[in-house]
Amino acid sequence: MTKRLPSSVSNIKIVLATLLASGLILLALQMHAFASDRETTQCGHATLQAMIDAAQPGDALLVPAGVYAGPIQIDKPLTLEGQLWPVIQGDGQGHVVVITAPNVTLRGFVVRGSGASLDREDSAIRVSAPNSVIENNRIEDALFGVYLERAADSVVRGNTIYGMDLPISRRGDGLKIFYSPRTLVEGNVMRNTRDAILWYSPDSPVRGNDFADGRYGLHLMQSDRHVIEENILRNNSVGVYVMYGSGFELRRNLIINNRGPSGYGVGLKEANDVLLEGNRILSNRVGVYSDGSPLRPGSTVTYRNNLFAYNEIGLEMLPNTERNRFRDNIFLDNGQQVTVAGGGDLLRNEWAMEGRGNYWSDYAGFDADGDAIGDLPYAAKSLYDTLTGVHPELRLFQLSPAVDALDLAAKAFPLFAPQPRLSDPAPLMQPPALPPTPGLEPAPTTANLLVALTMVAAALFIVWTGRRGLRGRRNANVGKTHRATARS
Amino acid sequence: MNITVIWTLAQKELRDALRNRWFLLYTAAFVGLSLALSYMSLAGAGIAGFAGFGRTAASLINLVLLIIPLMALTVGAQSLAHEQEQGTLAYLLAQPVTRVEVFAGKYLGLAMSLLASVGLGFGIAGVVLAISDGAGSPAAYVGLMGRTYLLSLAMLSVGVLVSAMSKRAGVAIGGGLFLWLAFVFLGDLGLMGTALTMRLSVGQLLWLSLLNPLQVFKMAAILDINATLDLLGPAGIYAMQEYGQRLRIIFLALMAAWIVLPALAAYARFQRRGDF
Repeated sequence: MTKRLPSSVSNIKIVLATLLASGLILLALQMHAFASDRETTQCGHATLQAMIDAAQPGDALLVPAGVYAGPIQIDKPLTLEGQLWPVIQGDGQGHVVVITAPNVTLRGFVVRGSGASLDREDSAIRVSAPNSVIENNRIEDALFGVYLERAADSVVRGNTIYGMDLPISRRGDGLKIFYSPRTLVEGNVMRNTRDAILWYSPDSPVRGNDFADGRYGLHLMQSDRHVIEENILRNNSVGVYVMYGSGFELRRNLIINNRGPSGYGVGLKEANDVLLEGNRILSNRVGVYSDGSPLRPGSTVTYRNNLFAYNEIGLEMLPNTERNRFRDNIFLDNGQQVTVAGGGDLLRNEWAMEGRGNYWSDYAGFDADGDAIGDLPYAAKSLYDTLTGVHPELRLFQLSPAVDALDLAAKAFPLFAPQPRLSDPAPLMQPPALPPTPGLEPAPTTANLLVALTMVAAALFIVWTGRRGLRGRRNANVGKTHRATARS
Repeated sequence: MNITVIWTLAQKELRDALRNRWFLLYTAAFVGLSLALSYMSLAGAGIAGFAGFGRTAASLINLVLLIIPLMALTVGAQSLAHEQEQGTLAYLLAQPVTRVEVFAGKYLGLAMSLLASVGLGFGIAGVVLAISDGAGSPAAYVGLMGRTYLLSLAMLSVGVLVSAMSKRAGVAIGGGLFLWLAFVFLGDLGLMGTALTMRLSVGQLLWLSLLNPLQVFKMAAILDINATLDLLGPAGIYAMQEYGQRLRIIFLALMAAWIVLPALAAYARFQRRGDF
């Protein structure tokens, strides 16, 4: 819909002109200075820059629909508000919009056509001043989408960012926030780019975004104190990767289907004081990968009320990881619930807090005293899981009945049974309730039902064919034998 | 070759299969287990939403690997040897039908009965999954059923070959059961041990395991559902990088070979044997 708007502009030119006229009167006096410019903007020429050059600092400019040639440079505090999606069209080289002054607001534009050089980091919107607001823009065909560099206290909200149709190694970051502390990243949609990365930008909340089909859905590097809330991270190589920092709260995110050779739902690399609460971590290659987290003495990583389900590996940790605390999580039907990369154990973590552990779908204990907590600890000591920790190539036999046979043998002959890798002293008998997360899709029930019923019908038809053969066999066979006799 | 004769013989075979206790027992077991399995996988359907099919499918793959070869191998192993032992095969061959027609009719009839069995198992489990929103995309489910059926045909061919080479039904079924053990357990366990002791490269490991039609089925099904093989660790990733989407063709070709070659060998044996 937004794409069609610019072309329908000529039809409503008059309406627009009226709107604009009234808008201009209401706006600052300086606006009159380029009233004549406005006429030419509608021919689609590069006059947006002229508008900006003519404006006084602090002005608010209403930019009508049309196609404006980029690149555009904004070097004074201004509010640029697009009406009916004006397009800023780059020339396919360098940046399209460059903001070098603080307190600039850019809202309601379509920005497209940046260069494709990774060396120069060609961007659709490049900001290098604090207090910027980049809001409700639509960015297409851009190498880097929104690039904030030394732009503290900025807001990136409600933008839609589509990357270039390039192999992932040649794409740029849809969102790059560099040395820009206290930046709010909220409600953006990003597709087909490389990463959304926040680097040296502490205290920046990331909330309600939808990042899909990229490499790192969200990448936090050397950056502290982030709240990451209610985002959807889907079909990336890695959902959220937290590297080197402390104070991260990941709450109620949907992290689904992040795959690839090093695919992780959440990766924690030397991150301190992390809280994961109420996240749904589904169908990833590895749900959470934890490498040296926490690193700093005295800091912790806390997992509370998360769902780890249907991942090939629910939780993968490096050996000797410690001070991870777990409570009220659901480990549901992961190919392997918890593994230790390279062997070893995870016994120096707290698998239960305040007498409550986690729900494990493969727990085989009982609850005789009826307190909803299993009476036997949950211990992960599958021989196959231990083997694949040391010899990952044996994962080739995943799902084979031979694997079950191996684990059964280990149970029957304790000689082969490996040491337990973890032990949850208070496993829950029922999965705890989870808070809602955004973006869960319902299944196509009707289609599935039709397919299943068709299968049953086809099977019954075959059975019926056989039965009919039983009843009419004699008569039919007599005729056929006669014919066969005649033929021979 | 006369199509009507083959069809008549196929119908007779189908009718026999429906009366065969073994076959009914396997079908009931397969239906029951797949039903139980889909019911169990529903524990998480509500809290996980649409994403749940991957694991349901994984459990189904596990179940198929166990039951379908057992069913198809024993049914195939019984086919020729049993009739020969009863003397009905000699009677049938005395009729004005060629050996091709007898063989094709038998194979077709057994293949149809297997299709009924697989269809019932997947269909009934699918109804439960669909009603409770535990199923994934319909295409993935149909694909899994199709691959299961191909696997059952491959195992049927092997079973028929065993049957054609045995003089007595008991020997044939014993041979079939041994092959089942070999395909399902011994092959994989042996290969695991070999990989550990001989330090096989992932490529060697991959190709050695692909000699087993069960592994072919498993990898093809995983590729269908996940679109990648990274579930299978380094060997799976190697396969994806080395062969990419050509894997689908490789899997299909290997499975076709397992269906066609043993069937042809069985026919050649059946054609030459004088004692039927």
